[in-house]
Amino acid sequence: MNEHSHPHDEHEHPHSPETHVDSGSQALTEALRSSFVIVRFVMVLLVLVFLSSGFFKVEPNERAIILRFGKPLGVGEKALLGPGLHWSFPYPIDEVVKVSVTGIQKVASSVGWYAVTPEQELAGTEPPAGPSLNPAIDGYTITADANIVHVRSTLYFRIEDPVRYTFGFVNASNMVRNALNNAVVYAAANYKVDDILTRDKAGFQEAVRRHATELLDKENIGVAVDQCDVQTTWPRQQKVSDAFVAVLNAQINRDRALQEASSYTNQVLTAAQANSNAIVNLAESDRAQLISDLASRSSNFVSILPWYRTNKDLFVVQQFNQTMGRVLTNVQEKIYVAERADGKPRDLWLQLNREPPKPSTATTNQ
Amino acid sequence: MKRNSLIVVIGVLLVIVFAFWLCAFQVRTTEVAVVTTFGKPTRPVNEPGLYFKLPPPIQRVYKFDQRIQSSEFENKFREDLTSDGFTLLTSVYVGWRITEPGVFLQKFPGGIPAVEQQLGTLISTPKSAVIGKHPLSDLVSATTGGSKFGPIEDEILASVESQLHTNDYGINIEFLGFKKIGLPETTTDKVFGRMTEERNKLVSAVQYEGESQAKIIRSDADLRASKILSAAQGVALRIQGEGQTAAAQYLGVFQQNPELASFLFRLTALEDSLKDKSTLIFDQQTEPFTLFKGSLTNSAAN
Repeated sequence: MNEHSHPHDEHEHPHSPETHVDSGSQALTEALRSSFVIVRFVMVLLVLVFLSSGFFKVEPNERAIILRFGKPLGVGEKALLGPGLHWSFPYPIDEVVKVSVTGIQKVASSVGWYAVTPEQELAGTEPPAGPSLNPAIDGYTITADANIVHVRSTLYFRIEDPVRYTFGFVNASNMVRNALNNAVVYAAANYKVDDILTRDKAGFQEAVRRHATELLDKENIGVAVDQCDVQTTWPRQQKVSDAFVAVLNAQINRDRALQEASSYTNQVLTAAQANSNAIVNLAESDRAQLISDLASRSSNFVSILPWYRTNKDLFVVQQFNQTMGRVLTNVQEKIYVAERADGKPRDLWLQLNREPPKPSTATTNQ
Repeated sequence: MKRNSLIVVIGVLLVIVFAFWLCAFQVRTTEVAVVTTFGKPTRPVNEPGLYFKLPPPIQRVYKFDQRIQSSEFENKFREDLTSDGFTLLTSVYVGWRITEPGVFLQKFPGGIPAVEQQLGTLISTPKSAVIGKHPLSDLVSATTGGSKFGPIEDEILASVESQLHTNDYGINIEFLGFKKIGLPETTTDKVFGRMTEERNKLVSAVQYEGESQAKIIRSDADLRASKILSAAQGVALRIQGEGQTAAAQYLGVFQQNPELASFLFRLTALEDSLKDKSTLIFDQQTEPFTLFKGSLTNSAAN
């Protein structure tokens, strides 16, 4: 404002002494005056435009930092401007730098996986594996037991310290990638091949995540690890992968055999338990029957003993014939062999074949 | 006169702006700068802000990015020998930055690509030396904390840093880490052979394990089953004994007349034994068929 109010004063003050000059110079004065007005207006306008160009907007997932003559305004958290409308001096005094904060970023490891492009992977046309691995092209890692496996990982992270992340590194995401690469190689070097591929996949993944987090903290990149995905596979060389598949199959077979054995155990033990119950129950019922039988017999004995003593022979005959009557009612076949007239004994031929009972068993009357 | 004053003011403003343009410079927070006087570095600037200098050609200013640069030496995947004679291929990444712009300007007129080339040479020798001091098991090991990546990386870093200090390069390495560890191509083929062998052994081990364990489980089940059964038989025998003992109390009753008791028992036994599916063949000698004797005589008379 100062620059332009100055010429304004100069102009107003010397106005009166020139009133009597001729019309030509008066016209000139008029022209000049109006041009001054225009110049003044343009200057005010320019200043307004200059100042209003300093407004800027910060989106919800962004933070902004104002650099005044190249130096951040404020320190640490205070330097960060939140979402909304802000104002700064325009260039060259201030510079606004916006950084993304809330979005989850991701990087993928660039070592440890065989040479394949994402397009080939999607199309399922991965190049065939050669007999050996060319270190310049094929990525792989060496395991603790000196096996070769392929490992790749994707790290998801948030920017925790945008000032450090933006102003501390030329290519911070590349730094994160290298930390992840190191973590992949390191974790593989600490785990055995079976743990990496099958036995302890979760532990291996956790090891990658832990080491990457440690490295990122040590290198102070200003990020917080959110999640870490790890993918592993055995070498694609035919004979090697066949051998790995064979181990898996053998393990499946072993598990099935163990499963069968344990179901056999259940079966055998259940049957044995049932049999043992049956044996004990049978013994119990036998005992009960024996005792109740004896009890009833003994009471019967006591009650018939006086009769027996009274008339022994009659009692015996009566009892015997009573019993025989019952026996003969129950007996399935009864064969009566009459005495021959001459009193000689008869020959009897028995066909010892019970089922089916033949009606013509009486081979007798001859 | 009004015109003149206006022109003068504008002129003065222009001169000021021009002078500013020539003499003032900003150093951004991501930069370091050095001011040279007649080409000679005279004033390094390590803090961001607004600075002044004499106009060119007296003084010039050179600015450099002072943020940490990452370099990866992909093409320096070099073969190194471990102390126990294994050939390893390793590559490292480093994070470095410019600390002394004045020195940097003189040492690396080619800028950052020149630094990377220099660093590649600087690192490869100490890397070989340090790896040569360690056996393979220091890098690759299953025992807990067995893999000494950290110490080995630190050793290489220390060695590189001491070189950087002796020949002042104006840069500093902030960190260094392994990026890849590999084997020579011919070795990978042999490793595959060995891996296949190991797998095959594992297959037979797993098979044997499955069979023998299943056998153990089954025979254990059989053993337990027979134990259960024999225990039950023991219990049954005991119950039977108890039954016999309880039966003994009735013997006294039968003792009163053993003859009758024996007769009654025989009757019961006879009845029980002929209960079903039996064929009885008898003649007139058998009671009560002795009655038939008379009738037979009658029929003979007919």
